[in-house]
Parts: sequence; structure tokens; C-alpha cells
Amino acid sequence: MKVLQNVFSEISGKHGLGAASFVAVAVLFWVICLITLPQVAMLDYSFRFNLPAAEVGGPQDVYTLENYAYFFQGNDGTVNTLDIGILVKTLIAAVFVTFIDILLCYPIAFILAHSATGVAARMMVIGLIVPFWVNEILRAFAFRVLFGSTGLINGIGMSMGLWDQPVDFIRADVALYSGLTYAYILLMVFPIFNAVEALDRNQIEAARDMGASWWRVHWRVVLPVAKPGIASGATMVFMLTAGALAAPQILGGPSNLWFTQLIYQWFNESANWQRGSAYAVILLIVCISFVMMLMRVFKVSIGEIGR
Amino acid sequence: MNRGTGGGVVATGFSLLFFTFLFGPLIIMVITAFNSSSFPRITPWECFTTEWFGVLFANDRLMSGLANSLVIAVSVVVIAVPIGLAGALALSELGPRLRAALYTVLITPILIPGVVLGISTIIFWGAFGRSVGADYGSIFYSGMFLTLAGQVTFISAYAMLVFLARLQRFDPILTEAALDLGATPGQAFRKILLPFLGPAIGSAAFLTFLASFENYNTTVFTILSGNTFTTALASKVRHGTDPSLSALAVIIIGITLIGAVVHEAHMRRKEVMRTGTTARSRIYGNPVLRTLVHPLTIFVILLGIAGFATYQGTQHDAGVCKQQILDEKRARQQELLEEQRRKMEAQKQNQAPASTAPAEEPVKANPSPFGGAFKSNGLKPGE
Repeated sequence: MKVLQNVFSEISGKHGLGAASFVAVAVLFWVICLITLPQVAMLDYSFRFNLPAAEVGGPQDVYTLENYAYFFQGNDGTVNTLDIGILVKTLIAAVFVTFIDILLCYPIAFILAHSATGVAARMMVIGLIVPFWVNEILRAFAFRVLFGSTGLINGIGMSMGLWDQPVDFIRADVALYSGLTYAYILLMVFPIFNAVEALDRNQIEAARDMGASWWRVHWRVVLPVAKPGIASGATMVFMLTAGALAAPQILGGPSNLWFTQLIYQWFNESANWQRGSAYAVILLIVCISFVMMLMRVFKVSIGEIGR
Repeated sequence: MNRGTGGGVVATGFSLLFFTFLFGPLIIMVITAFNSSSFPRITPWECFTTEWFGVLFANDRLMSGLANSLVIAVSVVVIAVPIGLAGALALSELGPRLRAALYTVLITPILIPGVVLGISTIIFWGAFGRSVGADYGSIFYSGMFLTLAGQVTFISAYAMLVFLARLQRFDPILTEAALDLGATPGQAFRKILLPFLGPAIGSAAFLTFLASFENYNTTVFTILSGNTFTTALASKVRHGTDPSLSALAVIIIGITLIGAVVHEAHMRRKEVMRTGTTARSRIYGNPVLRTLVHPLTIFVILLGIAGFATYQGTQHDAGVCKQQILDEKRARQQELLEEQRRKMEAQKQNQAPASTAPAEEPVKANPSPFGGAFKSNGLKPGE
């Protein structure tokens, strides 16, 4: 409390009492009412029974682990392989998409930072940003047009005689992975770009002059500098991919659910908000612990994200 | 000179491939908007048409969602930009340890999955409304309010990042100088810091507007039974698609491109003005050319082109061509039926068209030899 008071008086001494009060009120409102309390409310909700409105707050309204137990055991006490499988599949797919994004974006970020100059570099930046002003839903829709059974890829493939039945890219999840990879490219390019840009070109030249091959230059000189950027981009891409809802709904196969779709179903189709909350808590905890674990492995801190 | 470090042919080739991946899907989607086929596709090409734009504007749900989205987006800008500014100011004054802690807290809304944010928002405000005894008609159960609360939670963090980047370049000596010269802290804040943050306020407002307008994951929960533009769009895409969505993409991409070109013209102009090379520059030294590359001129010209294209589009009638395609299809089908009859007589039933298309496609897929002739609604005009 003392610390906060000091900060407040420091801000008010520098920017005036009005500005300091504004900062204090806005930040407190944001942290407490918008960030913390809703998460606490959701956590609380996930431990309750799904009761009719009249019984809420009554003697029946007690805490329970039933919603979490359902995730692990289903209704009949056996292992709930379906839901656990969907969570595992979502995580693996998110890792896969993140990895592809790193492979795609590292070269582009490097080219943008060190090879492209003048007009070319500006055009590249504009070219990177413009597609992401288009609505997320429409971008997913574009991939549906591309990969649908009467889509362009099937049309070209069949007219060239590569295959004679339409390939079902939607069911095979090819469309979904491409769409997700596409959706978050921007969030990977710019963190890597920011990190790589700080690298002194002379270091690359020096490594070259000492006879390092091109992959050695990247592995020993550029990659260590790019690492915080890659970690930051990978964290964002992974979290957003694992939490994506629109792309799986539009591009996902009918029998292949994403974990967020499961949450959506508990809310909107089964009207069991408590269980939906429990699933949301599970998603949140699993994703955050996964990211924390990777950050520890790669020795980067959360403070570097978003730079 | 770039040997081995990313220059040269490989880099150019990779960049080309990368940007093909980035723009290819969008270009294809744009082209499908002008094909009269009732499923968005390029092959087979049927007729050039502009009717899908009409279909788009006749969609009431989308249009009312658009109105909701605009109201929400403007409110989010008004709330999230000040909150983001407050967050950035607080962070810049804290000591390193407290700063790291607060930064972690404020950045988490970006990392938390949108669905989780949406759910927690409706649960919290619902419980809050219940505890103060508000009824179901009150603000705590209104989709617009909940969407606003849910979106502000994480969009403020975007605004905060913009302000943090700008604040890093602020020289605190300026404020100190103002204070030494007798300004009150409040005056220094309003006259020194706020004007310095001006450009950042602009880009933060743009970013928050866009983020709010595009958001789906959070909004689909918080809007309850209502609709925003994006949720209406998503439900339309999920329940059968037609090229009117491509038409929408044409409009959005058109606006985006105009915006990007005008912004680029503005940036170049500013840079030339700033470096003071106006007189030496070939373009900016010439009064005619200088007026021509002024952002406003470019904007008016582009708007004129767009308007002309729209007018031409409304005049276009694909009726004749569509009738022709229809007749062709009929003839083709007749032909195929004949052929099939002959084949059946020759005991070759295994060549009949298989229909193993997936269920989620509104139109049945065909094996290539038969083109689009057998698709279930291929013979209905004007769909």
C-alpha cells in the first residue's frame, strides 16, 4: 500500500493531481473490475452445479468438483478419452502451427531487417499489414474458397490430372492448419523483426570473413539475437491458435473439434455454463502452464512479450 | 554483398512465395465475387456479374450487425485508449520490480484465449447484477454492455503497447524544463506530454477500432442473443456460403487499399517535408506533381475510380450470359444422359457419377468429366 502511495505522489508531482487520479482510477478499474474479478467469478462458477435460476443461492447451491470430474471421467467413471483427446489434439496442432509460422516468418523478418532497402522494404511492410486489416472471418472464408471440394486447388489439381476425385482438404484439416498459420503471421513477423533489427551487420560480416557458412552465421550469430523475438511471437501465436474459435468453426472438419468449440457447445448448445466455465479454466491453465514451461526451457521472461 | 546472409535470388524467391501465400487467397476470393456461380469459386467460370453486391446489402442481419459493431467500436475506442494511456503512464513511473509485475498483469488479457475472456465477463457481470438486485432487463444483461466490457479488457492492452513504445522515446527533461519555467505539473502534462503522445493516440485509436470491429472470439459470447457484424458474418459462413461474402471482401479490401495508399502518400510527404529536400526532389519540386501526390488528391482520385467502378457495376446485367450458361448446362446434361443411357446398355454402370462429397458443402461435388452439370442446384437460375 505504501509503495502504491509513493507511486501516486510521484506521478502527481510530475504530471499533476488530475492526471495521477486518472491513472490510478483507470488502472485500478482495469486490473480489478476487468481483469481479476471476472476470472475469479469464472473460477467460482466452474465449481458449482448447473441449477435452475430459482435455486441459485439456495441450499442446493454448493461447491462441487463434478464439472472437472466430467472432463476426466465422463458420465460413467471411465476415462473421458474424447474430450481429453480433443485438448491434446488442439495443443499439438497449435504447436505445429506455431512451428510453421516460425519457419515462415524468420526468413522474412531477417530479409526485411537486413536485405531489403528503401521502397522494397516499405512495400513489404505494407504488404504484411494490409491483409490483416481484412476481417478474420473473411480470411478464413478465403481458405474455404481455396480448399473447398469445388475450390480452386481441387479445380486445378483435377484439370491437370493430378487426382481425379476432389480431395477433401477440409476433413483432412489442411484448410484449418493453413488458415491458422495465415491468421497469425503478423504476430510472428514483427517481434522477430524487432529483435533481428538490433543486430549489427558487422557481426554477420565478421562471421562470414572468418569462413562461417550461411547456416552457421544464422545458427551462431543471428538466432541468439532473434531468440527473444521468436519466443514472444511464438507465445502469442500459440495462445491465439489454441484459443481460436472462428477458424476451427469455419474451416474445421465436421468430426474434428477444437477445444474452444467444446466450450462453445457447453455454453450455447447444452446451456451448461458451469461446465463450460470449467472447460475454459482447464484451457487457460493448460495453455499458461505450457507457455511457462517452454519459457523456462528457452530461458526467456514474460516481460519480453509484446515488445 | 549479401552473400550468404539472406540476399540474392533465394531471398527474393522466398519473399515472392511468402507474399503469394499472403495475397493469393484474398485475390482468389475477390475474383469469386464476380462469378455468377452460386458457390464462391473460379473454376468453372460462368458469368461476370455484380449481383452479389445486391445480395449482400439485402442481408438485414448483417446490416443491423454493422450498426451494432460501429457503436461498440466507437465506445471501445473512447474507453480503451484512455485506459491504455493510464496503464502506460503507470508502468513508466514504477520501479523495475513492480513494473514487471504490473506489466505481466496488464499483458495477460492479450494472451488469455478470447473465449475465456468472454465467458468470464458474462459470468462476472451477471453475478454482479444479481448481487445488486438488478433485473434481467438491466444493463448487466445487455449484450452491448457486456461486449464493451469484454473487449475493453484486452483491447486496452493493445493501446497500452502503442503508448509504451512512444513513451520510450520521450525525453523527461522536457517536463522538467517546463516545471522549472513555472508550469504546474498539470500544465506540463497537458502542454508537453499529451501533444508528444498525439500521433500515438491516433494510431492507438485506429488499432482499437479495428480490433473491436474484427473481434469474434470474445464477442460471440458477450453479445448474447444479439449480433455484431463479425458474428453475423461468421454464422453466415458456417451455415452455407455464397459469393456475397466475397463481394463484402471486395469492399473491405478496396477500402483497405485506398487507406494504405493514402497513408503511404501522407508518410512520404511528411518525410520529404521533414528532411527539407522539397526543392531538390523531382516530384515535390514541381507544383503540378506536388499537388498530384498530395494525400487528399490521391484520396479523391481513388474515390472517383471506386465510384465509377460501382456505377459501372450497377449498370451491368449478366442476364443474357446466365441464360446462355443455363441453356448450355441443359444441353450438356441432355448429352450426358444420352451417353449414360448408351453406356448402361453396354453394361458399364461403374462409370456413373459417384457422389461421395462431404456433407458440409452446400453443393455436391462432381468428378471432373462432368463439370458442374450435375450439382444439385446448378440448374436454378439466380441463386
